[in-house]
Amino acid sequence: MKKTILIGVLVLGAIGAITAYFMYNKPHKDMEAADADITLEATALFAAFQADEQAANAQYLDKVVQVSGKVKHVTEEDGKISVTLDSGDEMSGVVCQLDDLSTPSRTDFKEGEQVTFKGMCTGVLLDVVLVRCVEVQ
Amino acid sequence: MKKGILLSLMSLFFVVSMSGQKYFTRDGKISFFSDTPMEKIEAHNSKATSVLDASNGNLEFAVLIKAFQFEKALMQEHFNENYMESSKFPKSSFKGKVTNIKDINLKKDGEYNATVKGQLTIHGVTKDVETTGKFVVAGGKINAKSTFDVAVADYNITIPSVVRENIAKTVKIAVDIKFEELKQ
Repeated sequence: MKKTILIGVLVLGAIGAITAYFMYNKPHKDMEAADADITLEATALFAAFQADEQAANAQYLDKVVQVSGKVKHVTEEDGKISVTLDSGDEMSGVVCQLDDLSTPSRTDFKEGEQVTFKGMCTGVLLDVVLVRCVEVQ
Repeated sequence: MKKGILLSLMSLFFVVSMSGQKYFTRDGKISFFSDTPMEKIEAHNSKATSVLDASNGNLEFAVLIKAFQFEKALMQEHFNENYMESSKFPKSSFKGKVTNIKDINLKKDGEYNATVKGQLTIHGVTKDVETTGKFVVAGGKINAKSTFDVAVADYNITIPSVVRENIAKTVKIAVDIKFEELKQ
């Protein structure tokens, strides 16, 4: 009897430890596999943040947002590539920072080219910023 | 009427001629480090914006909290949901001055020590801060760096007791900016 209780406690403890370990090491969202929560044009996304930032935050933050638009420019900083899409505003854009945790299918984006990315929307500063972006073909 | 046009042209000229004094970036790097015997945590953000006006030393930063990236997904989740409440407070910002801007010549190669004073807003709480940093000008490129400490409790961020041993009470913040001249 005592033995069964002991084994029970040990098993429970082990399950707890394993669960804790997996929770602690929970992987980041797989952006390549993630389905887009919202799909829209880069110009529409920027316009939403321009019109009402708070409402746009409530609607888009933490969502996988799929945006399409024209490449305005591409920057690289320490191997991190960011593609800025035309927002319809001269000073601002929709910045898509490519995902660190997956290998992009290509990085040779050209100015004026039409592209589609899905990424996590983090909000607006000068630009609307999407991180962990993956190209959608 | 003609006078009006002339005046607006003059003011436009004035704005353009002053613009050589402004520097900015939208790819600024801001990192933070929490170091305890139990755990080392760091997170990086390379999408900070900053504007520096060399004529008067005015300096501004802004950064999106949700754009900080952690090694562990769980930490990123706790950081956003429990500590920074980033859906409620999506940005952190700094507004202030490089107080010794007169001693810094951003047009001339060299290393310059800077003192910075202003207001830092984190988690919706604004505090006066003062720190030092360095401008390195080389071949026309301007790099600004600074590290400073922030006490988590100063910004009403409460760390639950279960992880109190894992998260530092004071986190180190590192700023690393490459400024570009603002062309208009």
